[in-house]
Amino acid sequence: MAVRKGLTLTDVLITVVIGFVFAVIYSLWGAIYTVLQPLGLHLNELAYGMWFIAAVIAYLILRKPGVALLAEFAAGAGETIVTLQFDVILIVYALLQGLACEIIFALFKYESTKMMTAVYAGIAAALITLPIDWFYGYLAEVATWNIVLMFSFRIISGALIAGVLAHLIYQALRETGVLKFVGKRKLNHDEGL
Amino acid sequence: MLEQIKNYHTFVDRTNPLTKIFIGILLFLLVVLMHNPNQLFYLSLIMLIIMIILSGIRLRYLAVVLVLFFVFGAFSAMYMVFYGTGETTLFRFGLIHVTEESLIRGIHIMMRGLTLSFFGALVIFTTKLTDIFYSMMIQLKLKPKFAYSFMAAIRMVPIIAGEYMMLRQARKVRKPLIHKKHISGIKGFITTVITLLSQSIRRAYRLGVAMEAKQFDDGPRTYYYQTAFSKYDVLFVMMIIVIAFVSFCLGTEFNLINVTDAR
Repeated sequence: MAVRKGLTLTDVLITVVIGFVFAVIYSLWGAIYTVLQPLGLHLNELAYGMWFIAAVIAYLILRKPGVALLAEFAAGAGETIVTLQFDVILIVYALLQGLACEIIFALFKYESTKMMTAVYAGIAAALITLPIDWFYGYLAEVATWNIVLMFSFRIISGALIAGVLAHLIYQALRETGVLKFVGKRKLNHDEGL
Repeated sequence: MLEQIKNYHTFVDRTNPLTKIFIGILLFLLVVLMHNPNQLFYLSLIMLIIMIILSGIRLRYLAVVLVLFFVFGAFSAMYMVFYGTGETTLFRFGLIHVTEESLIRGIHIMMRGLTLSFFGALVIFTTKLTDIFYSMMIQLKLKPKFAYSFMAAIRMVPIIAGEYMMLRQARKVRKPLIHKKHISGIKGFITTVITLLSQSIRRAYRLGVAMEAKQFDDGPRTYYYQTAFSKYDVLFVMMIIVIAFVSFCLGTEFNLINVTDAR
């Protein structure tokens, strides 16, 4: 089989399916996120990092350009399909968060699988949507301590969930052996699995 | 699945999915830029009525959806109601400080969410998933490998959900035998994710190889379903413009509350 550059159909399909697995998880996670909301103390922001874990994991598995963006878009679009709510904000956010991860991974030339790379991507994705939240939620009009709390919770969550947790999942997934045939490590025969 | 809970079809069913998505983005911008709570109130109200009439969904199902929208909307505005800044105090308890200004701002944020949710529900109830990807391929020249990957992967979502339920049941049966940490907490979460992911990657890989063999690849092709822009798209765009204009005028003329800027 000739080595082709870029994403093959199999790559795309695997990425989208990873995205959809997380779409199911996101839908369940949404319940946790909502339960944490009513106090208004931004405890829900501690769960925020989950929303861009799909991008990081898809990148760690395939390590090709465009994968993070595609996976996050699939997860966001998939969530609207699973919960039957077409949500423009959700898809725009998913695209932006995927893009933020993509930029970080491009800086590492799509090579690094270190935990710190994932952590940086998680933080970048946590930061990128803050400007939109600022205008949408009138954050300038909230008490300062409340804002600081929200921002720090979100960044911590991005680093811990989308960074550390994503990397743990990647390591465990590598041990199962399913990654032998996907992405850059792909072997030249199509048996096994 | 939607067909079973639909009573009738309207022109929105025939509107191109791309038009709806594009309008959705514009509506998001409009809602973010709208600072007058009166205007936003009329906008969300008209959107609610339009959604109920044009979606054609049975009222029983609509009622459930609407209750969920209101609960989620209220939750997402709590931070502003409780901790927003303002002059006129209504209620104070510890850190919680509800003022007239923050209450109005909270309701404003909730109405933003509701307006978008109503529109989103209208889109979901009137659009076939395959049509979205076909019109992206035909009208937007999206590469077929992306569109077909999405369409194939959507069919796997029920399998993924089914696998998750099976995993839960298997754990329930084995609960007395295994350590608690494998069921709940981070360890339990990781094992769940690994099971779902590894199975899905295997399945996707096999399907990918099969689809590549059948030439589901880029290149010139014909399409089984045809999508196009039509007069219904014009009608849909006109309707949204009229709604925005009417709510703008109503909000300026008939003030329900004497606040014209939520900021």
